[in-house]
Amino acid sequence: MTKKIGFTCAYTPVPLIEAAGFSPFRVFPESKAPDQAGHLLHDNLCPHVKKVLDRALADDLPDLEGMIFINSCDAMRRLSDAWHAARPQDEILLLDLPSGISSLSIDFLSKEYDRLAKTLFEWNHKPFSLEKIKEKIDNWNHLAAMAKKIEKTMSKEYFPGYASRLQHIINTAATDSIDTAAAAAKDHLHPIGPAQKGRIPVFIFGNLLFDPNVYNLFEEWNLHVAASDFCTSSRFISPIDVKKDETIFRSLAGSFLSQTPCARTMETTVPGSIAQKIVQQAKETNAKGVIGFTLKFCDPYLARIPMIRKALQEASLPFLMLEGDCTMGSLGQQQTRIEAFTEMLGV
Amino acid sequence: MMYDYFDNTVTGITQKLDQDPGGINARKKYVLELSKLGKKLYSKDETIAWCGVTAPFDLLSAMGVTSCFVEFVGAMLASTQTAGYFLEEAEDSGFATDSCAYHRAVMGAVMKNAMPEPDFIIGTSSPCTAGLAIVENFAHQYKKDFFILNIPQNDSKDAINFLAGQIEEMTRFVSDHTKKPLSKQKLGIALDCFNQSTRLLKDIYDLAKTTPSPVDNNLLKDFGTVISLLMGTRQGVEVCQAFKDELTHRIKTFQHHGSNEKIRLMWIQNRIQYPFPINEMLDDLGAKIVVDELNNVTWEPMDPDHPFESIAKRMISIPFSMSTATRIKTMQDLAMEYGIHGAINPCHWGCRQGTGARGLISKGLKDINVPVLNLEIDCVDSRNLAKGQIETRIEAFIEMLS
Repeated sequence: MTKKIGFTCAYTPVPLIEAAGFSPFRVFPESKAPDQAGHLLHDNLCPHVKKVLDRALADDLPDLEGMIFINSCDAMRRLSDAWHAARPQDEILLLDLPSGISSLSIDFLSKEYDRLAKTLFEWNHKPFSLEKIKEKIDNWNHLAAMAKKIEKTMSKEYFPGYASRLQHIINTAATDSIDTAAAAAKDHLHPIGPAQKGRIPVFIFGNLLFDPNVYNLFEEWNLHVAASDFCTSSRFISPIDVKKDETIFRSLAGSFLSQTPCARTMETTVPGSIAQKIVQQAKETNAKGVIGFTLKFCDPYLARIPMIRKALQEASLPFLMLEGDCTMGSLGQQQTRIEAFTEMLGV
Repeated sequence: MMYDYFDNTVTGITQKLDQDPGGINARKKYVLELSKLGKKLYSKDETIAWCGVTAPFDLLSAMGVTSCFVEFVGAMLASTQTAGYFLEEAEDSGFATDSCAYHRAVMGAVMKNAMPEPDFIIGTSSPCTAGLAIVENFAHQYKKDFFILNIPQNDSKDAINFLAGQIEEMTRFVSDHTKKPLSKQKLGIALDCFNQSTRLLKDIYDLAKTTPSPVDNNLLKDFGTVISLLMGTRQGVEVCQAFKDELTHRIKTFQHHGSNEKIRLMWIQNRIQYPFPINEMLDDLGAKIVVDELNNVTWEPMDPDHPFESIAKRMISIPFSMSTATRIKTMQDLAMEYGIHGAINPCHWGCRQGTGARGLISKGLKDINVPVLNLEIDCVDSRNLAKGQIETRIEAFIEMLS
């Protein structure tokens, strides 16, 4: 069995993990582990971070050779701090991720990714291989291209169960391997059965929504998820634009910083651009409405919701904002609101 | 409203100073200089930059920019008991009540046009994600140019070079707006003032370590955080000198022996900003806050030959920029140096940065036998204050320490 490297953030390049001979294991906040994280951190912290820490405290994890954290937000920083206290025997690496996108930021992040790659090879006692990294990036890009094709098909017409299958593929890439996910993507490249009518197309966005069953629930509630933007969905499987005139790490950094960003990453030239991007994504997919689903206590999103709401209002796109703890249960509690929203869109 | 507040404060203190130059204490001189800064911010004829907490105010000042961190205004609104009005405005606009009230209050003030419109905005990724998010909102709302200083959470050579490069880029960004290049001479003066103030700060903090301590519960309240606004200026040096003189005088005249100091406390992060009689209460209980966590010098002197690198190192050295382990180590060192008996951690509602490390901090200080009182409180929003409960917990904590 391949040794696993744990990670928690979509800014972690999976190809680097695999190139060093490890399997990726994204630690999802999915656990029946007792709620203990508040003792080390604070209860008013995002449920993603708390649940992941609960898993660490309860040893509800597979054997991990190391853990990679990204300094993406305060909660993630605190998770990295707490992990040191909870599992001091683990190999832990915290990468700095710039908040603003600039040439200097890309340079710096490329050095951070370089550091990550070298550390991973070292952890696995293997000689550093740029060729291996390039090979894994190629595989990743192949997978990303298939995922984009599925997303494109999904955005045009409604195929029952298609969104859920895409999420399953993405989760496979995050917790198993790029190749297994690519094989699954190949199998599901074309939808099973004909397109169906009668569902209302919506665009959904937020931070974390990883359970494939969630997408089935949306369908049960008469919605067609035409596109989604979560760090566990399309944001995670983004292609890496390898440029011949720059190092592989600069290409990685450039690609990760220029992909559709998490709310914590900002384009300084267009403050608040996240709002316009959401409007644009919704329009491109002909969504009739937009649903935001964010974790409680997530500052990067909470601070941007008012500007997103305003931009959607100006674009005449109805918006439903939901907060939860990223579990199926918390979404289930929102059923009435979602159904009411669907009815309103259907009128 | 805020202009009037600052103007009245300046007039009042200046009159007292004119009547009796030796009669006002260092804290008043400090408030006077901050009020003058507040007046400038609201005067509409200055180049204004709203910034993140760790922005290089000395450098901005050398470039002729009147700058301030937005949380300062949040604190002012709380201290003048006007925050509630602005908090409601922000909440009505969709800013979550789960978020930090420093930021919600200033955002409400922006929406009510109660904040001076800046010429540009400089965000900092330290101390917190929420602070950076709110200044992006400022830039979006005012449609002003926005610059971010990404502060890495480590002090490697790459990290320092990265930040130094950004600071240099920031000077070009500022020059583009002010149409004035950075003057090496002015920067040299600012860094010299900064270094003078740093030396005085070290002296002040050393004097505060005396047993019994010459400070009282209010004298150095939030000093380390806010003095950064004056560092790099002549006024900053004068304020620091005034504090040093006052503490020296208190010790020389044995005033510090007059205080009822049975318990020495450390205050973690920031104080409660609205009127709340905690200082008086601690006085009555014989407890004294001898050190605030951020009343500390963590940086080396600024090197005028390598200004950007020096400033970068300084910004990274601030405990909030580093890991919680480093922050705890700094607190443990302070606890030992000041000989404290206990610490109070006001777990500011909505603060993922400081409060997020509540459990780790308690454990870290417990490791050196320093008990911590975690007060679940909002330091800016007094609307849901459970005053009685907070008082009971403080009383019980001090009793336990006694």
